[in-house]
Amino acid sequence: MVSPLLLRAGITYQLRHPWQAFLALLGISMGVAVVIAVDLANSAAKASFELSAEQVRGAATHRVTGLDGRVPLNWYRDYFTTPNLPPAAPVVSGRALHVASDMSLQLLGLDIFQEGPFRGELGETLAAGDLRDWLAMPDQLILSASAAQALGTGPGETVRLRAGGRLHALRVAHVHPDDSSASRDLLLVDIATAQSLLGMPGHISYVDILARPEQLPRLRERLPPSLRLVDIAQQTEGTLNLSAAFELNLTAMSLLAMLVGLFLIYNAMSFSIVQRRNLFGRLRAVGTRAAEIYRVVLAEALVLGAVGSLLGVLLGILLGQGLAQLVAGTVNELYYRVAVEAQQLSPLPLLKGVALGMLGTLLATLIPARQAATTPPVSTLSRASLEHQTMRWLPRLALLGGAIATAGLLIAFVLPGGLPVGLVGLFALILGMLLITPACIPLFQRLLERTPLKGTWRLAVRDLNRHVSRLGTAAAALMLALAAAVSVAVMVESMRTAVSDWLNALLNADLYIATQDFAQGATLPDSLPTQVAQLQAVTAISLYRSRKFDLDGRPLTLIGADLAQPSRQGFRFVDVAPAQAWAAYDRGAVLISEPLANRLGSAAGGRIVLPSPSGERSYAVGGVFRDFASEHGRLFMPWRSYQEAWRDRSSTTLALFSETLAPGQLKQQVLRSVPAAANLLLTEAGVVYQESMAVFERTFRITNVLRWLSLGVAIVGILSALMAIQLQRRKEFAVLRALGMTRGQLAALIVAESVLLGAVAALMSVPTGILMAWVLTEAVQFRAFGWTMPLTLELTPQLLNLGLGLLAAALAALYPAWSASRSDPAPHLRED
Amino acid sequence: MVLRGILLLLGLSLAGCDGSPPPDATQDTGRDTGRVSVSERMAAQPDPGFKRADRPREFDFPADHGAHPEYATEWWYFTGNLATQDGRPFGYQLTLFRVGLAAGMPAGDAPLRSTQMYMGHLAITDIREQRHHSQERFSRAAAGLAGARTVPLRVWLGSWAISGQATGPFPLRLRADAEDIEIDLTLQPGDKPRVLQGDAGWSQKSAAPGNASYYYSHTRLPTSGRLRVGDAWYQVSGNSWLDREWSSSALGPDQAGWDWFALHLQDGRDLMFYRMRGKQGEAQSFSQGVLVDQHGETLKLDLDNTRLSPNQHWQSDASGVRYPVGWRLQVPGKGIDLQIDARVADQEMNHSVRYWEGAVAVSGSHRGVGYLEMSGYQ
Repeated sequence: MVSPLLLRAGITYQLRHPWQAFLALLGISMGVAVVIAVDLANSAAKASFELSAEQVRGAATHRVTGLDGRVPLNWYRDYFTTPNLPPAAPVVSGRALHVASDMSLQLLGLDIFQEGPFRGELGETLAAGDLRDWLAMPDQLILSASAAQALGTGPGETVRLRAGGRLHALRVAHVHPDDSSASRDLLLVDIATAQSLLGMPGHISYVDILARPEQLPRLRERLPPSLRLVDIAQQTEGTLNLSAAFELNLTAMSLLAMLVGLFLIYNAMSFSIVQRRNLFGRLRAVGTRAAEIYRVVLAEALVLGAVGSLLGVLLGILLGQGLAQLVAGTVNELYYRVAVEAQQLSPLPLLKGVALGMLGTLLATLIPARQAATTPPVSTLSRASLEHQTMRWLPRLALLGGAIATAGLLIAFVLPGGLPVGLVGLFALILGMLLITPACIPLFQRLLERTPLKGTWRLAVRDLNRHVSRLGTAAAALMLALAAAVSVAVMVESMRTAVSDWLNALLNADLYIATQDFAQGATLPDSLPTQVAQLQAVTAISLYRSRKFDLDGRPLTLIGADLAQPSRQGFRFVDVAPAQAWAAYDRGAVLISEPLANRLGSAAGGRIVLPSPSGERSYAVGGVFRDFASEHGRLFMPWRSYQEAWRDRSSTTLALFSETLAPGQLKQQVLRSVPAAANLLLTEAGVVYQESMAVFERTFRITNVLRWLSLGVAIVGILSALMAIQLQRRKEFAVLRALGMTRGQLAALIVAESVLLGAVAALMSVPTGILMAWVLTEAVQFRAFGWTMPLTLELTPQLLNLGLGLLAAALAALYPAWSASRSDPAPHLRED
Repeated sequence: MVLRGILLLLGLSLAGCDGSPPPDATQDTGRDTGRVSVSERMAAQPDPGFKRADRPREFDFPADHGAHPEYATEWWYFTGNLATQDGRPFGYQLTLFRVGLAAGMPAGDAPLRSTQMYMGHLAITDIREQRHHSQERFSRAAAGLAGARTVPLRVWLGSWAISGQATGPFPLRLRADAEDIEIDLTLQPGDKPRVLQGDAGWSQKSAAPGNASYYYSHTRLPTSGRLRVGDAWYQVSGNSWLDREWSSSALGPDQAGWDWFALHLQDGRDLMFYRMRGKQGEAQSFSQGVLVDQHGETLKLDLDNTRLSPNQHWQSDASGVRYPVGWRLQVPGKGIDLQIDARVADQEMNHSVRYWEGAVAVSGSHRGVGYLEMSGYQ
């Protein structure tokens, strides 16, 4: 039980020091708000994706897909006419390009009669038209109100689309109101209409199935080698993984924000307790038991935590909305279309935020509360003794920090396990570095004392050591924010360099030729390779046939390739010499990308089993190449092996090399001499490079925002620490003023002290940031995506960081300096 | 079986055709937006490109057992009362409806495109448990998913199929499966000849010219086989009634619906009678029927020689509709005075088209069993 008297003392104290209560609440609510905001933005994007995936996928449990991306219509007919099989819905889907706006849309061809148990909402949408026209007419289309608006069309009007390599005119049969954001880029047509639009008369895209587990064996029996039964939950997982890199980025940022938030809370709570050491000392002196003080401090923390968390929730929701727009924007461009309207306030991030606020506050209060309760009454009365105690503890704390940081590095790099292990290592490293930071303040102070600093600066340097107990945590918070910024900057820079090198090496051909619909698996005209090879300017040609299918529930890109010598030079092998890898390739071995190798635990000399229309086949692995194209993995198979296993002679991409012509000229010549090329996509290597790098830049745009956000939280932390110190030093400042210090000099002193603090934080953030970047780039990325990249260190982010640290500290000091210099010294001189 | 469903499907908007299961019976009874009653479906006129049944015709078998795609609507309608060897009674209904969406061949080259679609209704009435189970299926008549062939006769909708022999339709095999029910029955031709209804198979539906159908029946087909309710299979036997009808006509504006009876009397006679109802519930002069004696001799029934009146009602929880489930049917000239009662009150077919179709028991001057269909009740 908490004694009512003590509780009242606590409440009265808070009420009499509204500024302190405010700062504590600010710390708690800012910490909670950032975590909630990032989480909300993240889950909004995800929920929205899941909604659209759910809408398109419906209630299906499984999906029958073909290795070549389609299912023979006859197979579906046999299924449909066989008794006692689970409900099935055939789907024909693909992309269509709206000619007028150049907008790419998803074309979904459904059979309305089989949709009932599957996509209820879409089924109802289909039901709004006239059944006779819908089924009998070949040009009926349904779209959502927002899609209609985006395309500038309406009921009864004609929409011109490009699909399956041809132009089509469709009539808008119905515009359905936008209940769901997911239908925004969806064009609904009858399955027969989709068949003719996409030019797949004998096939459908896939068959959705609603099956119970015990029905699966019978289903599998019906599948020829070219078809597979995919678990929808697993497949969705795979699609979601598309954005894993992006999400990891956000999650790491949210966790960093949480750490900074915890520091703010600790800072605020410990200050409010330090302030009352006199009170607690007296209470102890008159016989109050330690446990009672302990309990009342915790109870107080609980109240502050609750109020602060609630404020944080409100703030977090506001902040989250802005952030969600940003996340959705990036996700839209890169992965899939999501709409921010779809954002609901999912309770989980809110609960997480509140839990963090409450537990964090309690946790952050434990140490100060113990200090308040357990130190003997006499020494409690002296604040200097606390600082003394802190100074004594600092080296031990630093040693502990060093040990934890080392353990973190070992965990991240040595311990086996997935991404979570990498993250645990990263956070151990961060924790360790945080513990070391306060110990750097006295070190820094001793260093500065030897420099010939004058006046205000000299005073400021002397003061540094006197407030380590509070400034230490503020410095650590700022250090963390700066280090996070550095590490992310270094990581992004490393990735940029690695991706850029890789693209440059890989895209060494002069011209690439693909069909307009290469994304849907459309192939090039059969005669094209021969025609192009006859051109005199073309010195070498590489042929590619790319296919996507699932291997062990995750997507795999298989590329049958006839690689010319220059194309081979674009590969960077991780485990074997190029000559050895290519010799194996020429003997029929496959080359696998680094992520695939790590996912399958395979390496050069191993074997890999792949499905094909002619059954499963085993291939030797010739080498592992560095690849950032897909975190799921890519595989190159020799042209002849591919054709043999897949009985397919088509190609999807041609790469042309010319020694005599520049890429632009080569393009002109191909267009002039090969008539079939007119409808194809001819791209110069430089353009592919630029587009790929643009995508890369967009992916990390949000990272910058989050960097600034956590820096903002750190600034608030310093501000609150300085405000607290200033409140406590009012008497000291009054004495200084009475001794003749001007308002300006006092303000300068406060700013100078803060800048020194910023300098400590900034200096510490350099090694911390580099270590974090190292872990992020080489351990976390590897664990998350299976690829490795060298760390690129550049001076600019480090220098920027130093400047930023000083600037942040100076900014945070402005208000405290202004307010201290304006206050009247007289009343404070009379205090006590 | 008269107007049953004439055009019942032609008015189809897409609403309710998505094959979704009927809503829970406990839901609000007023809504039912997706499930429109049969008579409401009848407002729309079919594509004028379809032929109309505007005059008597010569029937041509076995060709006429198959589909007539030049007409808008057609059905193969099987009902029957069956029982296990130890007397456990069941009723069943299997209907395949063909619906012409547009006259002529489909435009374009997509194999899944068709101007014809099929709707199937399957129902089993578990009389001992007083439970009625029913399912609905749809498919386009394309790519072999659904369709009709003449020799050997095969009409199918996915795995639901009516299959005959190379030498003629009989014995007919009916197979249809759903999650909770399934039938696998063989129908023998029996002793009774085929009955051409109306004027030698031309059956007038309303005053408007061409509002008629071609209509013939096999009134008593000895049936045996098995059926499944839930996970339990039952060996059953009994008699089935087959109605075949095709047309391109619609209900008249003054017509609300009909009550149709198909009865197997214990003395070996079969009785079919339908009553056309006007908007005020009155019997219209187009009401008619037939009495088939043990040797296949027929007697036409109409409002002059037959009297029909409801004497018991039941209200559906699912739709809120009140149906007459007890009737008195009299043919005074033949000494027939029958009390007809639903063997289970709730045999409502609450699918994309709503009607009541179920097994009935006959008592009074003669004993027997049969099927009753009622449409157009609100």
